[in-house]
Amino acid sequence: MKNIIAVAGIVIKELYRRKDFYVLFILTVLVCLIMASVNIFNDKQIVRYLKELCLLLIWVSSLVIAITTTARQIPAEREQRTLLPLLAKPLTRTQLIFGKFLGCWLACGLVLLCFYIFFGALAASREHAWPLLNYFQAAFLHWIVLGVVVALALLGSLVFAAPSSNSTICFVIVATILTVGRYLDAVALAQPEPFRSLIYAFYFAVPHLEIPFEMRNLIVHDWPLIGWNFIALDALYLLAYATAFLVAACLVFRRKPVN
Amino acid sequence: MSAILKTEKLRVEFSSREFRQATKVALTGLDLEVQAGEVFGFLGPNGAGKTTTMNVLLGFVPPTSGAAYLFGIDVRQPIARQRIGYLPEMTYYYKFLTAEELLRFYAKIFSLPRAETDKRIDQLLKLVELEHARKRPIKSYSKGMQQRVGLAQALINNPDLLILDEPTSGLDPLGRMKVREIIQRLKNEGKTVFFSSHELGEVETVCDRVAIIHQGDLKAVGRVNEITGQHASLEKAFLDIIGFQTSTTP
Amino acid sequence: MTLPRTFFLLLLALLVFCFGLAANLQPRFQALESRHHQSNAFFSLLLGDSSKMFANSFYVKADEYYHSGYYPTIFDNNSAFKTPHVAEDTGAVNSKNSGEETSFMGAPRDWLDAFGRHFIPNRHTHLDEGGANDDLSTSDNVREILPWLKLSAKLDPDNVTTYTVTAYWLRIRMHKDKEAEQVLREGLRNNPQSCEILFELGRLYDESYHDTGRARNVWELAVRYWLRLPPEEQQDNKLIFEQITTHLGQLEDKAGNFSQALNWYQAAQKVSLTPNDVQKLIDGVQKEMAGASSAPKGIN
Repeated sequence: MKNIIAVAGIVIKELYRRKDFYVLFILTVLVCLIMASVNIFNDKQIVRYLKELCLLLIWVSSLVIAITTTARQIPAEREQRTLLPLLAKPLTRTQLIFGKFLGCWLACGLVLLCFYIFFGALAASREHAWPLLNYFQAAFLHWIVLGVVVALALLGSLVFAAPSSNSTICFVIVATILTVGRYLDAVALAQPEPFRSLIYAFYFAVPHLEIPFEMRNLIVHDWPLIGWNFIALDALYLLAYATAFLVAACLVFRRKPVN
Repeated sequence: MSAILKTEKLRVEFSSREFRQATKVALTGLDLEVQAGEVFGFLGPNGAGKTTTMNVLLGFVPPTSGAAYLFGIDVRQPIARQRIGYLPEMTYYYKFLTAEELLRFYAKIFSLPRAETDKRIDQLLKLVELEHARKRPIKSYSKGMQQRVGLAQALINNPDLLILDEPTSGLDPLGRMKVREIIQRLKNEGKTVFFSSHELGEVETVCDRVAIIHQGDLKAVGRVNEITGQHASLEKAFLDIIGFQTSTTP
Repeated sequence: MTLPRTFFLLLLALLVFCFGLAANLQPRFQALESRHHQSNAFFSLLLGDSSKMFANSFYVKADEYYHSGYYPTIFDNNSAFKTPHVAEDTGAVNSKNSGEETSFMGAPRDWLDAFGRHFIPNRHTHLDEGGANDDLSTSDNVREILPWLKLSAKLDPDNVTTYTVTAYWLRIRMHKDKEAEQVLREGLRNNPQSCEILFELGRLYDESYHDTGRARNVWELAVRYWLRLPPEEQQDNKLIFEQITTHLGQLEDKAGNFSQALNWYQAAQKVSLTPNDVQKLIDGVQKEMAGASSAPKGIN
């Protein structure tokens, strides 16, 4: 476990020493503050459009950070030959994969914390309310989704040759799931066989990342808390997928030549 | 005396991805032993199989047949690497880390206690003369400085066996001298050093025994003066052993 | 040295050329620009005709906000949402809604769909009736639809309904009369002969400012514009004529101008889909006229 934590620590250091996070955070803040400065019929309490915009930017930024950070981990180690002195230590490949995953996932968690604090401050400046538990539910499940995305990108980094192709494919897959994942069953029902069965199989096979994504509406429109049992179930469901991707990554990495 | 490093009929084949290309045999049944406390030179022309041998010893590449052991443990076990230090040929490290952070990271992997880690880092940075640059990111280091950081990380766990892949590659004469001094110091401390090099002059100076490998085959192994034999120098002996015909001027 | 001098002379010549070109082109550009629709030139330039498509989607977004996010997608049954409720509730548009708006999602298609519904808005609410928490004290939250209506108006300045709906919510729910007037005036600038906007403006003057004179003027102007419409367009716009004339009738009725009120009600009845309701108004005025004529004359 300590090896995994050591590797994770390096990944987190890398994230806060690179510029990606700061650029995206400042962009998000700038866009939100500009939109907040717009005068809408002299009403200073209008806030939901801001919340929606801010949450959308947070989702986009966090996905960019998660995928680009993870996609370059193993390829960069290979390219810069830092993999050799690392694996020459008493560190197994499985520990390395889990360390990279943990590092990227925790780094995403820190990123989300910063973003959601800003979001809370922005919303509170107009609403004068802090529904902390609601924000916590949304942020927690958002973080779990990023765990799945990180695991997927890590697997992709071992399968695809270039980080750019891995990133592109991950973005396409994640964006597709977020936008149409919920409706695949409706699409399936409208198709004749055998397409119906194929699409239905695909619908049940993909991780439904859109479930936490659509929670944004609950936050934007001040809906009451979701039952904690549902939060726990969804987290377990998504973590199962993350675990599956990680196990696949370990199996692939075992067979890969190091240099 | 038991061998610190041992290979038994080590064979490594690489199957080609190209259609109709034959399998490449990198090592053909290599039998090698390195005893504790000796400085062992591993020589051969480019493509002879030196790096492949090291990759097998470090667990990067599985052998097709045969076995390799470090301290009597099969190299496929991660614990076999607990007491070794490795310096790769081309040294690149995490550019965003400082030398101190890099050493601390590797020390954690070896489960060194914090107090010992701090002491080792101070000692090593002093040894490789990087104290003045310990807080600077590695991306600002010159090639020589990076090589020295590599040496420091190879020594972080106070290893009993050092595996060095061309440790003086790319260094200026001063740098090479410092590396030789370090190797000599390690030998005096009873450590075992196994290294490959193209600098035969250095090998002659530093090594107790050498092995010469060519096209995956072990051609010669023994003390330096035994290998040199009737030849004027180790270089001439090396060329003769690998079958290279020199043009002789009458 | 000759080289630097040549360089600077060339630079100067280039600057003079650029200035001359700009001065030459400016009048032509101004002439070109004046032919374009002045308002929202930025969005029109950026998006072209697709700005109307965006405007419509933002208009629907306002309705989605009105329902606190509980809204059908293209995969759901949206027959009850053909006309956005945010517009339907103003009474200004003919509603095309049919079916049940509370259950457009239908029964869950599978366990995953059933599970996912816990994470989305899953109840029908209106912002001005308490919203997602059924808390009437938060009914002012209807303000949240305004940014989308404003954006929709910016992107499609020719859509009259956006202005009237925005003005309605500003005036009736938010009590922002000045802002409502600004919206309507902007709508009039973009749509100078719009009866709907003039009607809404008249309501503002009458109900909010209690300025019956201006209300009368504006409504009568709206009537004149309506009468100038070709017959086919008059057929399609009977509702607005009925509304204007009915309000004029009520205004004159309150002012004691019963004969004028009667004229307006009779005009309304001709186009009304519910002539019996208008007849009741006419009967009321006639009773008042009869009462007025039988009242004893004042003492000199």
